[in-house]
Amino acid sequence: MIDLVQNMLDGLAIGSAYGLLALGFTLIFGVMRRLNMAFGSSILVGIFAGAWLHGQWAAGMIPIFAATVAGAVVASAYVERMSFAWIRGDAALASMASSFAIWMQLEELVARAFPQRSYAFPTFEALPMLELGPFFLRPEHAAMFLTAAVLVAALHWLLTRTLFGLRVRTLSDSRDAARVSGVDVGRVAVLTFGLAAAIGGVAGFLIAATDGQISTKLGMWATMKGLIAMVIGGLGSLRGALVGGLVLGVVEAQAQWYLGASGREICTFALLFAALILLPQGLVGRKDTLARAEAVRRI
Amino acid sequence: MLALDSLSKHFGGVRAVDGISLTLKEGEIFGLIGPNGSGKSTTINLITGLYTPTTGTVRLDGRDLTAMAQHERTAMGVARTFQNIRLFGNLTVAENLWVAQNGHEQRRAHFLGRWFRAGGEHSPEIGELLKFSRLHSKRDVQASALSFGEMRRLEMARALASRPRVLLLDEPAAGASREDGQILAERIRETRDRGVTVLLIEHMMELVMGISDRVAVLNFGRKIAEGSPAEVQANADVRAAYLGSKHKDEELIHA
Repeated sequence: MIDLVQNMLDGLAIGSAYGLLALGFTLIFGVMRRLNMAFGSSILVGIFAGAWLHGQWAAGMIPIFAATVAGAVVASAYVERMSFAWIRGDAALASMASSFAIWMQLEELVARAFPQRSYAFPTFEALPMLELGPFFLRPEHAAMFLTAAVLVAALHWLLTRTLFGLRVRTLSDSRDAARVSGVDVGRVAVLTFGLAAAIGGVAGFLIAATDGQISTKLGMWATMKGLIAMVIGGLGSLRGALVGGLVLGVVEAQAQWYLGASGREICTFALLFAALILLPQGLVGRKDTLARAEAVRRI
Repeated sequence: MLALDSLSKHFGGVRAVDGISLTLKEGEIFGLIGPNGSGKSTTINLITGLYTPTTGTVRLDGRDLTAMAQHERTAMGVARTFQNIRLFGNLTVAENLWVAQNGHEQRRAHFLGRWFRAGGEHSPEIGELLKFSRLHSKRDVQASALSFGEMRRLEMARALASRPRVLLLDEPAAGASREDGQILAERIRETRDRGVTVLLIEHMMELVMGISDRVAVLNFGRKIAEGSPAEVQANADVRAAYLGSKHKDEELIHA
């Protein structure tokens, strides 16, 4: 029983990082109605920028955090130009295929620049383990959970209360109406892309700081986890992204404990499969079934 | 004030709009009619910038809009509604208006102010627009939950929220009853009285002929007549064009 709850705690922590990855995907998908397959590799660029700063100057956590987020945003700006800005809005498959190509390109670039199998990433070692009765909470897990909670609250405020947020949401409703209402659609799309990248960068930093070492496999890993969490939670729903991430995190933590690493992978994909068959609209299905049908048609 | 000069739009071999010239006068209601496929909607799309013209120019108060993006034309004072309503369904009624109201202030205000301002959907101007459109009881309702008639009213209010000089209405009476048509006519007149010039595309002849100061008739992408409603209804070319699509003829004569 104690194991079950402890796994749950660990799962919720890592799940909140998955949730952040899924939020990044969802923001881009909601606004562009297109999938960005290079999302994980943009984060990879950010993480290696942080690791490079760490290895070169033994910089502190704050500059490394800034470098990670900045690296992810710069790489994403490149992806946006190559795979989204120059490809027409209705050519969703072309964008997806081209972002796949950029994924390979970015990953290869990072692998060339950093040829070792793995690199060290700084951790929050100085912080003590938190004890909650019989349970333990790793400080980096607490950081993950808190950061995700704060970011989600801030994002919710931004999207529902501010003019910028409303403009973002007009894009997923009707681009034509947004344009004639004076919204600079291209500009809002670029800023949303940047915002998604920054959220991904934060998630990448937290994950790397928890593991203490990074490899070029992290890009693919982040893309997979983010996509799976998004699909489980429900395409196009921000709440769904978060819930999907948490569910995925908990299921993985339990499976890891009871079934081992290979059992965990089997459970992850079984969960994805079950979600697609039983809950095609995700755990947090949007009321707006028309928008959903539209979204599914475009993928 | 709004001037189209030899405007053309060709889709492959199809000349959807073929050399149309029109000039709207400040403060008038101008009706644009024609059989289906005569190029009315294409003309609106050329004015708002959804399409780029093959040849010709669009000017507003002497300024050339032809090369401007759609949101820039909105900032210049061009607003429109769509034949098939396009609202921001996930936003509330008041938020729909707020977005449109601020569309053209993007360049003027301070960066933080213009992107992160919160709570502007409660401004007095939006309250006034909600009253004008008889939507004030629905201000916090999601736009997708409105009735069809309310959606039409909201779309027109959203167009007005951008403080247009000229408002383009693309079949605003489509799907409306005769009584609704009369209410709509009243609202279009009130809009004109607010100082907004109106370009009206409509199939409901009674509405167009009843409220337009001038009317132009399109057929196969060309303008075949222009004048007062009475002049246009008496025009032989116009009757011939409408005889091609039977039922429209009676409407025209009886209106």
